[in-house]
Amino acid sequence: MVRKISKYLMLLLLITGCSFPGLGKNVSENGIVIASGNTTERQILSEIVSQMIMHYIPSANTSLINNLGSTLLIVQSLEKEYANISGAMYTGTSLTGELGLASTTDPKEAMKGVVEGYANQYDSIWFPSYGFENTYAFMVTKDIADKYQLINVSDLEKVKDKIRVGVDNAWIKRQGDGYEQFKTIYGFELEHINSMEIGLVYNAVYANKMDVVLGYSTDGRIASYDLVLLVDDKKLFPPYETSPVVTKKILRIYPELETILLKLEGEISSGQMQELNRQSDDEHLEPYTVAKNFLEENNYFESKNVVPLVDRTLYKALIQDVLPLVKEKQ
Amino acid sequence: MTLFMNYFLQNAGYIWMQCVRHFLISFYGVMIACIVCIPLGIYLARRIKLSTIFISLANILQTIPSLALLSILMIFLGLGVNTVIATVFFYSLLPILKNTITAIREVDTNLIDVAKGMGMTNQQILFKVELPLSLSIIMAGIRNAIVIAIGVTAIGTFIGAGGLGDIISRGINVTNGSVIIWAGALPTAFMAVMLDYLLSVIEKKLLVFIHH
Amino acid sequence: MFNYLSELGVIVFDKMAEHLFIASIALVMGIVVALPIAILLANKKKLAQFAISICTILQTIPSLALLAIMVPLFGIGILPAVIALFIYSLLPILRNTVLGMRSIDPSLIDAAKGMGMSEKQIIIQVQMSLALPVIMAGIRLSAVYVIGWTTLASFIGAGGIGDLIFSGLANFDIPLIILGTLSVTTMALFVDLMLGKLEKRLAPRTSSKKIGGMSNG
Repeated sequence: MVRKISKYLMLLLLITGCSFPGLGKNVSENGIVIASGNTTERQILSEIVSQMIMHYIPSANTSLINNLGSTLLIVQSLEKEYANISGAMYTGTSLTGELGLASTTDPKEAMKGVVEGYANQYDSIWFPSYGFENTYAFMVTKDIADKYQLINVSDLEKVKDKIRVGVDNAWIKRQGDGYEQFKTIYGFELEHINSMEIGLVYNAVYANKMDVVLGYSTDGRIASYDLVLLVDDKKLFPPYETSPVVTKKILRIYPELETILLKLEGEISSGQMQELNRQSDDEHLEPYTVAKNFLEENNYFESKNVVPLVDRTLYKALIQDVLPLVKEKQ
Repeated sequence: MTLFMNYFLQNAGYIWMQCVRHFLISFYGVMIACIVCIPLGIYLARRIKLSTIFISLANILQTIPSLALLSILMIFLGLGVNTVIATVFFYSLLPILKNTITAIREVDTNLIDVAKGMGMTNQQILFKVELPLSLSIIMAGIRNAIVIAIGVTAIGTFIGAGGLGDIISRGINVTNGSVIIWAGALPTAFMAVMLDYLLSVIEKKLLVFIHH
Repeated sequence: MFNYLSELGVIVFDKMAEHLFIASIALVMGIVVALPIAILLANKKKLAQFAISICTILQTIPSLALLAIMVPLFGIGILPAVIALFIYSLLPILRNTVLGMRSIDPSLIDAAKGMGMSEKQIIIQVQMSLALPVIMAGIRLSAVYVIGWTTLASFIGAGGIGDLIFSGLANFDIPLIILGTLSVTTMALFVDLMLGKLEKRLAPRTSSKKIGGMSNG
């Protein structure tokens, strides 16, 4: 009897190690699995990466792990090998988050930090940026901007006891560029500060429930609600460049991934990302559809030539242990 | 309504893809449960004490809320689709096991005696008498399991498995996402109701087939 | 460390209270609606069958889908969650009450008629009191399932233990996931056990068949 039960338990363990037709392959079977998040932007970018790979390596059996609730969970999924690519990682978040490094306002330095950090700590390659920055930004409606003459973040000081400010839950306690740092750099406190889910801030300011909110600069609702971004004149927020991250392990198996992902380098501007987000949030196109349209419009960047990572000073040393195998395969 | 149709048409490919994925996840979980539970049920049918232990274990398992079981299994099996298949498997145990045991037990003992009298071996009795007579009740268990499975698979979105739950949860996260919510929830509900109906038809056919 | 644990304890206790609150409102609403309907319909075979089929279809709708559908209709928070859970609680109570009242030996009803009881008296004093354990079994089933589904209600902002599990899932916080699942499972098993005892106590000397049921998660 005991033998019988253990046999069934073995079977159960077996099923978790193998994959089922129609559902994509597992990491353990050299499948390409992309970790995606629960924000519109992450989902669109992950879909773009996924569809690019399917286009160029149809045999690879690519699949997505969707809806992961935080950057932390995505990092976990890479570390525990549930996934081997992340569709969108943000330099600012990762630098001070899982890598635990000091924040910086220099985009180049931030990029260098995460690229080296990810190579050393997670055995992964942090690819060059998609070309847009997504950063925290204080935003107001046009009416409020006119009423209080707001252009820069420092302009908030003169109305600090009047305005109702809505911010992201995470920002209040955040290290490096959170509220503490805000008080130090800008030198004043906000009297009426409310924390809420990041997704709700745009509606809150639009519906006049808040006067000023802190949101993400690429959110599609900025365009559709006609919000004004205040200039971060004292440079509190580090530039958050966005890139895909790939484990070296899968790069060794599919060296073509390098070229495929490099084709996306610099191809999405901030305005374009805002537009893609808007299509998904406002016009209710699924991220899958948005990505598909975007790639078809650009013909999957087929004619684009890329500079291999080995020819770039930042990556040269880090990609050495992937390269020899690449040559063997050729 | 026009908004809904718009969404549906613009994203038809995607919705269909998730429908198929949703069905497959549920189907695989239930299928594995069948492979495990039908032989186990046949084995347990004539062992009353042992079967009581198994049934009460499965009963307790059934009491665990699906999100809770899914999260616990996630800790051991990781993120992604296989954990959802395993969760579906666990929830399918009770209906399939219970119905198989009941069905085999309810086969008229006179019939088995007759079969024995005709010189049938145990194996022949199982495949030619007991199983055909039990099919309809076992099918009812599978039908129950599939309906539960569709519901569990929807929750699978929280550990990244995909399926129609993805559409539902995006609808909740997006501002003014009502249209998306409908587009995710209606096919999910429809799939469960339809499968329930289809399998009930098969169940009845199997019953008729026995009586002839 | 102690501070952290006691703080966590308070949170868990709060969430459990919230959870039980939502589940009980839904269950009480379910009883208040399903019980009278079932009693009225018990002796009308076709109508009762019709009501049961409608509830069966509603029950078939996956919980996440039903909860989600409530959002466009009633917004987010406790109200939509309670309505969805209420809908789910109907079937087991309705079905068990109808079946329980109908499964009573007709000769007993004839005897009651012979004793000069009115139809009302027969329903209340004979049918209902004899069907009580079966009705109780339905309520118990509803209670266990409603407690389970309330976990998902957190998804539409209703709170409860689901908050802990969802937060654990989002941050890969394994202790929090275990804490959440343990507390909600214990709650479900405990309620099942207590109502099971009550059910046994209500059982009259005449034996009556227990009618179980299953539902989607």
